[in-house]
Formats: sequence, structure tokens, C-alpha cells
Amino acid sequence: MEDYKTYLAENILSEDKVVTYRLLSRALRVHPNVAKQMLYDFHKTQSSKKPGTVYATYLLYGIKKSVQNQNGNAMDIDLPSSLPDADPVDDEEVPSYTLVLVQEERLADVLKEYETISSIHVYSVGPHPAKDLTLLVDAAQSALAIKDDAKKPRPRTIVNSHVRRRERKGLGLKAAAPAKQESKTKAAPTKTAPAKPSPAPAPAAAPAKPQEESKSAAPAMEPEALTATTKKPAPSLKRNTSAASGIMQAFSKAASLPKKAKTSEKSTTAAEETPAALSDDGEDDDDVPLPKPGAVSTRKSKKEREEELRRMMEDDEDEDMEETADSPVPEEEEEEEPVVEEPPAKAEVAKEEEKEIVTTSGDGRRRGKRRVMKKKQIMDDQGYLVTIQEPAWESFSEDEAPPAAKPKPKVANSAPPAAAGKAKKPAPKGQGNIMSFFSKK
Amino acid sequence: MVTLDEVLGSGLLQKPSGDAPEALQRQITNYKPLHTFKLEKTRPYQQQYADIYFLRLTKIRPAVEAAASAAWEGTVLGGEKVKRVERVLDVRQGELCWVAGTVYMDMPLKPSILEDVSKDRWISAPTSVGHYYSGNGEDSVMLEDDSGRIRLVGNALQNHFMVTGCIVAVMGTENANGEFEVIDLLFAELPPQPERWSLSKGKKEADSSEDVEMMDASFSGHPRKPSSKKIALVSGLEFSNADTSYAMELNLLLEYLLGEALDPSIQRDELSHITRLIIAGNSISTTAAEQAKPAAAFDTTTVTNKFQPQNKKYGYDSSSYNPVPSQLLDSFLSELLPTMPVTLLPGALDPANASYPQQPIHPAMFPQSRTYMPPPKAGAGKDRDVPGEEEPGWFDNVTNPWEGEIEGWRVLGTGGQNLDDVFKYVESEDRLGMMEAMCRWRCVAPTAPDTLWSYPFQEDEPFVIKECPHLFFVGCQPEFGTKVIHGPDGQAVRLIAVPSFSETREVVLVDTETLDVERVKIVAE
Repeated sequence: MEDYKTYLAENILSEDKVVTYRLLSRALRVHPNVAKQMLYDFHKTQSSKKPGTVYATYLLYGIKKSVQNQNGNAMDIDLPSSLPDADPVDDEEVPSYTLVLVQEERLADVLKEYETISSIHVYSVGPHPAKDLTLLVDAAQSALAIKDDAKKPRPRTIVNSHVRRRERKGLGLKAAAPAKQESKTKAAPTKTAPAKPSPAPAPAAAPAKPQEESKSAAPAMEPEALTATTKKPAPSLKRNTSAASGIMQAFSKAASLPKKAKTSEKSTTAAEETPAALSDDGEDDDDVPLPKPGAVSTRKSKKEREEELRRMMEDDEDEDMEETADSPVPEEEEEEEPVVEEPPAKAEVAKEEEKEIVTTSGDGRRRGKRRVMKKKQIMDDQGYLVTIQEPAWESFSEDEAPPAAKPKPKVANSAPPAAAGKAKKPAPKGQGNIMSFFSKK
Repeated sequence: MVTLDEVLGSGLLQKPSGDAPEALQRQITNYKPLHTFKLEKTRPYQQQYADIYFLRLTKIRPAVEAAASAAWEGTVLGGEKVKRVERVLDVRQGELCWVAGTVYMDMPLKPSILEDVSKDRWISAPTSVGHYYSGNGEDSVMLEDDSGRIRLVGNALQNHFMVTGCIVAVMGTENANGEFEVIDLLFAELPPQPERWSLSKGKKEADSSEDVEMMDASFSGHPRKPSSKKIALVSGLEFSNADTSYAMELNLLLEYLLGEALDPSIQRDELSHITRLIIAGNSISTTAAEQAKPAAAFDTTTVTNKFQPQNKKYGYDSSSYNPVPSQLLDSFLSELLPTMPVTLLPGALDPANASYPQQPIHPAMFPQSRTYMPPPKAGAGKDRDVPGEEEPGWFDNVTNPWEGEIEGWRVLGTGGQNLDDVFKYVESEDRLGMMEAMCRWRCVAPTAPDTLWSYPFQEDEPFVIKECPHLFFVGCQPEFGTKVIHGPDGQAVRLIAVPSFSETREVVLVDTETLDVERVKIVAE
């Protein structure tokens, strides 16, 4: 602490800078009050050694003598100044304190103007008389530039233990990444794990939106979304040329979701050839199993999926998107309609249950067989290479960790857990904006 | 009078003592903002503005009529009994009656869109005229409701402030010219006032943290009330890089609020008791060249005006954008935020929307201070409309006007545009009187949407004051003023006109227990 003298001498005398107490306290990591005392001491000793080398400015705080009628009278135009002490603007006298910054030459004069002084201390010390305040301003600004060293924070005068800062976004992303991995591995199984209203098929039908969402950087997107990427609905329709279907697929996906979830149904009939490029292109979600077309499941979920999608869509305000996307594929859908409407809910329900067979674990691991959607590529009779998704059983073994990271996909319509919510935060942004472009039309 | 010898050698004017004092703790106050003036993100603008008047009339009319019938029922004037008429058009000549409606001031100096259109005068920037009041008899006052309007005359009108949009009940009769001669005039008066701590589950027990600290420093002379928690109010900080005359004062203000300046005794007694800072508008100012001084340069009678900046495209000059002011504000706030919560209201010069009610300044303007705000909600924009139970951010950017509860007191504050607009309608300079009138009219912005740009509300008009606040402050005023007004049911409101810091260099401190006011002026010679 004794080096403050050298520090000050160096800065003020050699480098010709003005040093305020704030600058000093931050540079030397001392309490501001101590810094004020240091400044005073330095100024005193220096002045006694060589007067005229350093000049100080003082900060005063107190009550000025009440000769302040110029405040009121200057403002008033109409009122006569017959009442010198009654301030017409202030209906009542409020205590008024003043905080003044003075140079040392003027200190004595200024002090005379004050009735009482509650506080006085040295504000800054400089090599020249502080005629111009801009130098001081610069000095004050430079005080802010000295960043705090986290390891040894400088002492502060007043702290507030209740201060709330929000978490940095970086953390959110990190948390997201592992969640994503997790979700990938558990793609199908996790579908049913979270108490989703609609079983796998429903998520399968998940709108393109969630699926896109999962694709986006935001991790932890609902694995459901992944599964949901079952564009098979659309795919079934568009199986003409992969090129054309590429673009339309984007639309048809959305379309397929809400109103015309039946797509899945039709898959039963034409299904096989469907997926083709549709399921492949664009989406990286290979692990997204689609409910096997032709299986009862598709039929069952159609209704449910429709509901799901509708709900999801409504949430995402993509209904219009659906509409437009729908138009290109209305005809095909029509035929499906009647077939689709039927899917008995019961059948679906029944199917739902057996998504996963878990054997109780003895040592903290969940083991069991799980139903997963596996993709198969088959050469069609017409020469088309189609990819179909069909459910298959696989055994799994995983830790008991609750699937908290399960993306609370909108599919689920459940309130997203906070953690996932944070991770998911960046996700919807990209997807939502892009799709909404179409939806508004 | 204090002399130099007295102060030397005491307090901080001595050698460093070598002991590091420990940091003081700043207290906190109970804080609960209300979202009365928040608008939806996807709000439509297709509606007509007339609905605002209708809503306002429907809300305030019952109160006005109750007051009027209480005052005038059974009055007999000149042998005739006063009757109440339902609609303005039902007034018959020669009949003594009373009726309630909305006031409309017809002033030729008011900017009128019809005039602009008819004279083919498209001005991209909003013109601001100093005063609409012409004082030469051209202005007329009318009373209007859904049925029609009638012109009001009479000496009784001179005693009261009248602006477009306030709801009144008038008693009088129609004279031969078809005008309504007013004998008496009544407003709705102050609305019912809630109890203290009505919204927050309060700390009803006396704050044990209330320090009763009297002076202990050697030369602190003036007696001070026991220091309790204080709220600092400031407005018109107007950070800019063009005008640096008050830059030093801004730095001093920061140090004052941070508690770094001044003596330890002052720091303990006063500065650590300042628990919250409310910035009431105009934190960023445009560069001096573009700043439109009111009533100065704009000449509404000619098409061109001399001070129009060059290269205006879309109504503003994009090449003159200067990020420095908002950076200065951001660094000011990020210095202050670790120790003190801040509430920020936008003002006329701030980067928020131009129409009333101004929505909060977007957090993107504050890259450094943003960490003190609550994170954006995970859901889409609609979630924001729900004023959830989540805690308000440490750095709370709020709407203008703003309503909230601090330490149990209901607080209503605005950035000043409403008062400035009312000021243009009337002849007087008494701003506190106008604030009082606004409370008695039960409307925070009566001149919206007539001359104050506003959102066309369809279902609800939030400018009507439903519950009387305990504290009403208006920012960006030319000078400080304060008053306490009382209502018929025992309500008491403290009015504060917060001066613009760039003009007066003053900060207002409000005591949270007694609602007493102090002001601190910062001078750098």
C-alpha cells in the first residue's frame, strides 16, 4: 500500500495524467475511501515539497445557503417576485443537497457559500490546474476501463447481495449438446417414455416444424420430433421425382401434419413406394422411425396424429402453411380421407401401449426390449428405390436417469422442463421464422 | 458558514489509515411492477381511434355522474330545478340541466390531419408547435358524447384546466346561440386508493432495517431525519457524444449512486439507503443537429422549414446514426447494476416506439447490462403478454407510462410526454397543477389520441386511472416540483415533477416510508 506514492508520482508527474480516486482505487485495488485519503496525502506532501506541481479538486457535499431564489424567479414569467422566499414552483420546501466539484483555488470561496458541509474529500490530483473539465471526464472514463481482476476483486463501497444475473447462454448450449446425444440414442424408445398424450404414431406425425426444429442447432429437440419426421404422409404422395418432391416435400410435410394426417394411412395402400426421397432428403433423421405403413398403427394414429398436429400447428401458427401445402396434394388425399377417418382410436390405443417392454432393473439400469422404427431400402417393382420404415424390436439397456432431457417437444404439448427449455431456446427461432414465411400466406 | 480550516484534517482529508473498511450492504425494497400498459407484440392497427373515447367515457362517466348528482341534485336556480339529461343532444334551450361528456378543444393551432391532407402538405417528421393555445378567442371548448357535441361558453370555464379527452359534468343552460352556458363544472375526482401493500404480500412488520442513524461525523451539522430506504428518481440523462457539458455531472452521479463518492458516514447513512433507481425517460439524446427544439424552428405555415436535416429518407437520416449514446448509457447502467436495481422508462427521445404507451426498450440495446435482465421466455411471443408471476428482472425495462408497487406504495410514472402535451393546451405554466388535474380527471393521458400519438385501443383503455396511486411522478420536466394532493375520500397523492438531469443536474430522492422528497444537485465547476 505504500507504493501509492510511487504510482501517483509516476502518473501525475511523469505521465502528466489526472488521477481520480476511482482510478487509483481500481488500479491499486484499494477501497475508494482509502484512495481518497491517499490522494490527499500525496497532494499534501507534494505541495510541501514543491508547491505548485500538483493541483487537486475537491468534492463537497452539503447544503447551500438558502439564497436560492434565482431558481424560482428565473422560471417564472408572470408571478411577481414579491415573495422572495416562497418559491412559486415548489409548493413546499424540500431539503436540497448539493454535490460540488471544485478546484482547490476556489475551495475557500465555495465553502463560504455553504451552510453545512457533510463531506469533503479529494476527488482528483493533477499536474495542472483543472481549468477544463474534459480532462477530468477522460480520467473518470478511464477509470471505468480498468477491468476487474476476478481473482482479486477490488473492494467496493456498497454491495448488494440480492443482485440477480441471468445465466449465460453458453451454459444453455452446453447442456443442450449432451441432451441431443441422449435423444438420438433414445429416439424411438423415448417417444413413449415421456407421458405423451399420443403415442409414437402421433409424434411420428409430428409436424415438419418440430422436425425441423430438431434439425436446428437447438439440441434436445424432442426426439419425438425426430421420430415425427415421418413425412411418409407426404412422401407417399410425392413419389414422382425426387427433385420435384424435394421442394414439395417441405410443403407436403407440413400439409401432411395437421389436417391431412391421413397420409400415414394411405401409406398402407401405396405406402411402400412412398418414402423414397422424401424421407431421406433434407432430413438427417435417420433414426426417426416412421410408423410402418400398412400397419394398423398408422391408421390408428392418423386421427390422433391429426389432432396432435393440429394442436402443434396451432401453437406454431403454421396453420396457413398447412393450408398452402395442402393444396398441391389435395386430390391424392381425398381418397385417403374416408379410409383415414376410420382409424379406430381404440386400435391405436392398444398399439400405443406396447412401445416398450421394460424389465425391472436390479442394479440401476433399465433393460428391456424396445420397439424401434427401422428403415429399410427396397427396390420397387417399378425400379424405384424406396425406403420404408417398419417397427422392429431391439433390446436396450440404459441408466436409470430419468429422461428429463427428453425434449418436451411441442408434440407433447407439455410444459417444457426448464432445462430443456433453455437448451431449446435457440432452436425454435430459426425454424419458426422460416416456416412462418409460408404460413402467413 | 464553513471555513477551510474546519474541514482540513478531518474525515478523509488525512493520511490513509491503513485499515480497509468493509463494504456496506445496500438494502432492498419490495418491488412489483404491473403490466398495465404492455401491448401485444402482434397488435393490429386497423381499428378506429374513436373507440378510445368511447371506452374512456364509459369508464369514467359513472363516477362523474355520481359526483354531479351528489352535488347538484335538488339545486334550484332562479326558480328552476336542475335536471339531468342523458345525452348532449337532449339539451333544450332555456332549460337548466346538467350533462356529462368528453371535452373537445377546437384549436386552430392544433396540428390537424385533415388540414394537412386538404392542403396537400405532407411532412415526414412530426412538427411540434409550442403551444396550441392561441388565447385570442379562436379556441373553443366543446362537450361531446356518442350523440353529438355542443359548444361550451361561460366564465366558469376559466377556473379549470380543460383539455381534449377529459370527462366532465357541466351544469347550465342552452342560450340563444345554441351554446351551452356553463354555471358549474365537475370532474370525477380521485379514484379510490388502495391500501399500502395491497399488491405485494407485504412486509407488514416494521422494517427492522430502518436505521435510526444520526450524525456522528465531526462536522456534519444539519439534522437529518432517521434514514430509511430511499428511491432515486432521475430523468433526462440524455447521454450523447455531442453535448458534453454535463458529462462530468453524469460521472459524479454514477459515483454518487454507487456510493464511491463522499465520506464514509454519508455513504453509510445516505448512499447505502438508496435502494432503487428509476430513470424516467430521455436517457439517450439525439445529436444536437437533429434535436428539434420545440417552438423554435418549425414553421407550420410554410411547407419547407429551415432546420430540416439533409438526406432524409424514411423520415430519418440514417447516416447520422451514432451508437455512442446508447453505449454510454449501457456502460453507465452496467456499472450501477451490480449494486442497485434499476427501472428504466423510455422517453420521447429514447429508442422505443413513438406512440403512447411506449413499450419497453428492447434488451438488445444494452449488450452489457443485458445479463441483469430476465432471459427471454422460451415460448413464442404470446407468452410475453401474460404478466406471469415470475420475478421482475434486476434491470427492469418497463413501459411508459408505468404502474407498479414499490414498498407497498402504488406508483404511477410517465416519461413526460403526456404532461408536455397537456401543457400545450393551457395557458398556465403550473405543471404541478396539471398533474393534479390529470389525477382528478382520472386519466393519465387525456390528450391521447387527439394530439398525443397513441395506439388505437379496442377493448380496454389503460390510460384511465382506476386506482389512485400514492406516488405520481412525471419525468423530463424543465424543473423540479412536488406537491401532495388530497381527494374527497381521504386519498393522498404525492406528485413529483422530476427535472431533466441534462438541464438541471438534479436527482430526486423519495423516502419509502414517508414519501418525503429530497433533491440532490450535482455541480461541477
